[in-house]
Amino acid sequence: MSKVVRQIGFDEGAYVAREKEDVVVGNEIIRHRLSSRVIHWSVGVSFFACLVTGLPVWTPVFGWMATLVGGLSVCRIVHPWFGLGFALASLAMAVQWWGDMKMTKEERGWVGPKLLEYLRDSANHDKIGKYNGGQKVYFYTSKLSALGLLVSGVVLWFPTSFPQWLRVFAILLHDVTFILFAVSLVFHIYLAAVAEPGTLNSMTRGTVSKAWARIHHPKWYRELMGLEK
Amino acid sequence: MSVQSLEIRRSSASVWGSPSGMRSVPTVAKYIDTSTCIGCKACEVACQEWNDLPPLSTQQVGTYQTLPTLDAGFWNLIRFDEREVEGGLMWLMRKDQCMHCAEPGCLEACPAPGAIVQYANGIVDVNQDNCIGCGYCETGCPFDVPKFHAKTGKMAKCTLCVDRSSVGLEPACVKACPTGCLHFGTKEDMVALGSLRVDQLKKGGFTTAALYDPQGVGGTSVVTVLAHAEHPEWYGLPRDPHVPLGVKFWKKWLRPIGFLAIFGAIVGAFGHHLYHGNKGHVDPGPVDPDEPKA
Repeated sequence: MSKVVRQIGFDEGAYVAREKEDVVVGNEIIRHRLSSRVIHWSVGVSFFACLVTGLPVWTPVFGWMATLVGGLSVCRIVHPWFGLGFALASLAMAVQWWGDMKMTKEERGWVGPKLLEYLRDSANHDKIGKYNGGQKVYFYTSKLSALGLLVSGVVLWFPTSFPQWLRVFAILLHDVTFILFAVSLVFHIYLAAVAEPGTLNSMTRGTVSKAWARIHHPKWYRELMGLEK
Repeated sequence: MSVQSLEIRRSSASVWGSPSGMRSVPTVAKYIDTSTCIGCKACEVACQEWNDLPPLSTQQVGTYQTLPTLDAGFWNLIRFDEREVEGGLMWLMRKDQCMHCAEPGCLEACPAPGAIVQYANGIVDVNQDNCIGCGYCETGCPFDVPKFHAKTGKMAKCTLCVDRSSVGLEPACVKACPTGCLHFGTKEDMVALGSLRVDQLKKGGFTTAALYDPQGVGGTSVVTVLAHAEHPEWYGLPRDPHVPLGVKFWKKWLRPIGFLAIFGAIVGAFGHHLYHGNKGHVDPGPVDPDEPKA
């Protein structure tokens, strides 16, 4: 990228991050290229559209949210379409990230004790690559939830076309997958936007600092810096 | 349409109805005697007329039955069925309609506040104003009664002529019935009438006759005399109707559990941050000579 004509205010990091990731630019590392970020925020925005139009139907406690879109009847009409958008965006995400999300045997421990170690700051980070086991578990949780929400959502969208037992099952599946996803999403947002400063930047501008990479993803850092033996 | 003069005992997606406890209203019921129904369909016509429901095209289903099932524009359907019993032929007719359950599954499943209400007198009614056409009521109903308007998706069903019964008139179908197989009054009186008729039938040789008032849904405000009560399915009635377990589990357990789980996660995240602070706030320092300090 050194051939680029540098003007005052030229943001080389953001420029490189349009198409490339896993490259070092000055003091920064490109973590998510533009297409990944667009896909991520498509999933995020469509999910929150679903949330605002779905929660008022889930329980009247959140009935006030319905006024944001013009009432509960509007929720019933638009929620399935937002859901379809969420499913499509999730599919794109699954395709985009699939290769990065292969889990090693060790990483399977993140389903249980390793996650707690991580939250207690007592985990050994040394072998963590671009994604840690927790992120991979979250990836599979969210994609599985998206599948469950889509399948049950189609049944709930056209209730008169399906037998009663299937509609009952769909209501339960839609709820279980939503709860599963919502709980894990709380921690996803917390860790990314609050608890680990510098992380949110990787999904907005696309870059992280070298220090961030070395703290949270040391193996990935060493690979990119050519330090991995 | 909600009826001003009637208090609401229960309302969908709401904690309370509007019972003030000031008024004492008896639970009402419709009595249907399948053994004296002659299948004349006067009740069907009266229902359409009183409720301003335009005529629908009939569908031939191999019997005299007007339509295969109830419809958003057809709330009262005489079902015709033929059964061979001990070498003889039984021609069974039953007036199908909303059963007005004491514990209505439609109301329990409905997510729209006030879309389905149960009045103090036991009548279960739909407020189309509030209905969002999601179809959950159909999932909660053990009798396959809720039907939806093709264009709006809104649910419609028998109101037990609440506009008539709330001012002391009998429902239109009862008014029209020529054989006296339909009656309307307090639930107590209708159950007593049913027992009388069941005794008569038993003496007449129908030893298994009984009054269909299923307790699985807390009893219904439509009680039906069946000559062959050991086979309610012959009349298109479920043997032991109850609100689907999944719907009850969903409302009573899964939803509160989910609510707590999500809020628990939010509280947990806050707590984690209060206790542990930021993760990775330590500057690791340079690891190789070329690396500038971040």
